Amino acid sequence: MVSATKVEGEYSFLSKNSPLDQFEGVKTHLYRFGTEQHGNDNIRSFACADQGGPSLLDTIILSQWDGSAWKGHLDYDVTSCKLKVIEGGRNFVVQLNDKWNSFSLKGYDKFFELFGCLKPNCMKSYEGLLLCVAQGEKDRPEVVPSTSPPKDGLLLIANAYPVEYGHIFLVSSAINQLSCSWDKRMFGLATKIASEVNNAAFRVFFDNGTSVVPDRMFFQACYFANPLPVESASTVTIYDGKARSGIIVSEIVDYPLKALVFTSNNIKALVNVVSEISFSLHDNSTAYSLLISNNGTKVFVFPQVKNLVTGYSLSAWECGGYFVYHTKFDFDKASETEISNKMTSVSLQDGAFEDLKHLCCATVDDLVM
Amino acid sequence: MESSGEADPAGQDQDRRLAASLTARYSDWVLEALDELPGCFLLTDPSLAGHPIVYASRGLATLTGYARREVLGRNARVLQGAATDRAAVAGVREAVRAQRAHQVDILNYRRDGSPHWVLLHLAPVFHAADGRLLHFLAVQVPIAAAARRPPCRAAAAMFAACREEARVDEDFPCASHAGKVFVDMDKRGLGAEEPRVASDSEKEKAMSTANSIFSALNRYSKLTGLVVCGKRCDSVGIQALSSSLNLSLGRIKQSFVLTDPHLPDMPIIYASDAFLSLTGYSREEILGCNCRFLNGPGTSMEVLEEINQHICSEQACTVDQLNYRKDGSSFRDLLHVSPIRDASGKVAFHIWVHLDVGTKHDFNGLTPEVWQLGAVGAVRVAVRGLSASGSLLRPSQ
Repeated sequence: MVSATKVEGEYSFLSKNSPLDQFEGVKTHLYRFGTEQHGNDNIRSFACADQGGPSLLDTIILSQWDGSAWKGHLDYDVTSCKLKVIEGGRNFVVQLNDKWNSFSLKGYDKFFELFGCLKPNCMKSYEGLLLCVAQGEKDRPEVVPSTSPPKDGLLLIANAYPVEYGHIFLVSSAINQLSCSWDKRMFGLATKIASEVNNAAFRVFFDNGTSVVPDRMFFQACYFANPLPVESASTVTIYDGKARSGIIVSEIVDYPLKALVFTSNNIKALVNVVSEISFSLHDNSTAYSLLISNNGTKVFVFPQVKNLVTGYSLSAWECGGYFVYHTKFDFDKASETEISNKMTSVSLQDGAFEDLKHLCCATVDDLVM
Repeated sequence: MESSGEADPAGQDQDRRLAASLTARYSDWVLEALDELPGCFLLTDPSLAGHPIVYASRGLATLTGYARREVLGRNARVLQGAATDRAAVAGVREAVRAQRAHQVDILNYRRDGSPHWVLLHLAPVFHAADGRLLHFLAVQVPIAAAARRPPCRAAAAMFAACREEARVDEDFPCASHAGKVFVDMDKRGLGAEEPRVASDSEKEKAMSTANSIFSALNRYSKLTGLVVCGKRCDSVGIQALSSSLNLSLGRIKQSFVLTDPHLPDMPIIYASDAFLSLTGYSREEILGCNCRFLNGPGTSMEVLEEINQHICSEQACTVDQLNYRKDGSSFRDLLHVSPIRDASGKVAFHIWVHLDVGTKHDFNGLTPEVWQLGAVGAVRVAVRGLSASGSLLRPSQ
């Protein structure tokens, strides 16, 4: 993996004074969103079988990822890792994968790989760069086959240590610009990508549980073939804003981790509300994860108690009920109880959760659309 | 050589009947197409009395000394002789009766009575839709003498031990003259032939000749709407795909098929609508069949071998292949083949994504390669959530 000297040497890239250039001569596919708005009553759900074929963005992401895997840019074939559903009713999904390392996502080495791969003049580094996504000017979306990425887009980069098929990082293409801990515009783009991919298997994630380099924001996404357990869990509506803002806030019940979900067909409203909540959580030093699902119409918020000793918090897919085990022994004895305990141990206290619920309702209430 | 063109009503009747055996099922062009194929092979019709030969290839004369006209209408046993192993003959008869493929090393006799060893590759030709047996295909590949032999004396001694016939005192020349020796021997003699075994390359030659013939038959079946295959394409025997998988696959617009490597002869278990449009076949015609019906005379053997190797090593490959539609027209196919794994982590299917390079396509700004791999990715996601039995992943018991 990453040697100590390498990390040291690369640290300068991340400092404010780093003269990191924009992409010199990097060319990639560029997908431009169209300006045409989708209707608010454009209901998309898992069960909708009458859709036309896969969307253009879906096709290009899958294709670029498969091509990257085929060329050997990834560390292993994640589809060769066994999956199973745990008995017990919650249908937690576990994967046996001895190559994936949770530390490969948290910590410096991950950032190094991310930004290290964007170093100019290092051809090998651009292997994982699949695509750039940005807002376009035309009505319809378009694909530009080979062009320099614009500064206001998101770069989609294949994760060499995938947790599932199609695992990518979504990173701002303005890498020499330090973003704050929460970039609403980026979140908007990430949600729009989920909407435009229009594939129920495609989920977008955000983790704010790490203490590493807080001034860099990035998202992740991948394709989960099966429903995530949290998506099937029961919910109770705690705020019905359909009439005013189009947003419904619900609490996930009967789930080991306390969580909330925001549902809306209005991406803009969703982005605004969740951004506000994220700011608050961050101000309170509450670790949290986000899961964007159902083609960008649902955002799950998983607030967590940060374990100050281990720094351990669950990643968004773990909050969703998907876990990776390294050894056959652990994989074989994985049980619903064990997994539930992991979740419960990072779950907010009742009082703190009640406060959060009030905050969410108030935020949605205040939202002027 | 028998003369032709005599006024012989009975003979002409028979000729018509024999020709009809083929032209009733295939277009007239099939005879020309078969004439162009190399190798020695026969087509026989089991539904006619005496199970006669209805077609003999151009290569027949070279190998057997018989002109084609001389064997038409006769049963294929005309090629056998006194020393032909009875067990081998019985094996062939049994295969014919059971309507299955058969391969055997057998001693045949030329027109001049000289015996020679051939690899006989027998394959039934079935009507793909109703499984009716139409013809038998008999390919003959001469078996070369073994490259290295023990010293002649020892060989003679061994020979003597194997065969009772009085050849013991004959001083056999060395291996390099073996062929010539056989021809020069007493033509009507019994045995005197050291049994030969077909080599792998001879078996491959038989297979590829058979494949070319099947392709030719397939290409020229358009007029009668027939598609033939070498085994009964039993789509009933193939497990139905789960409805959720069918649904997911049905959304994918590219031209592709899925094959199952766990079933014999790796049959097609799914074909997209786009594939059917591209090739002109109907779903019923091809489900259960191996992809080889797309191949034809222009299809490169090297490319087929490359695909085979990648399949065996569980790797993906993209090849440029010449393939053929049902109507016989060929097209340059940008073909990507890749293993697809299910939730168990093991290979469940192979995907074959086709693209007609010659046709202009509009993929909304995507290159053909990106368009193709998009199908592969979509299928991977669809299959990843399935258990080894093909259904959605459920808690294990």
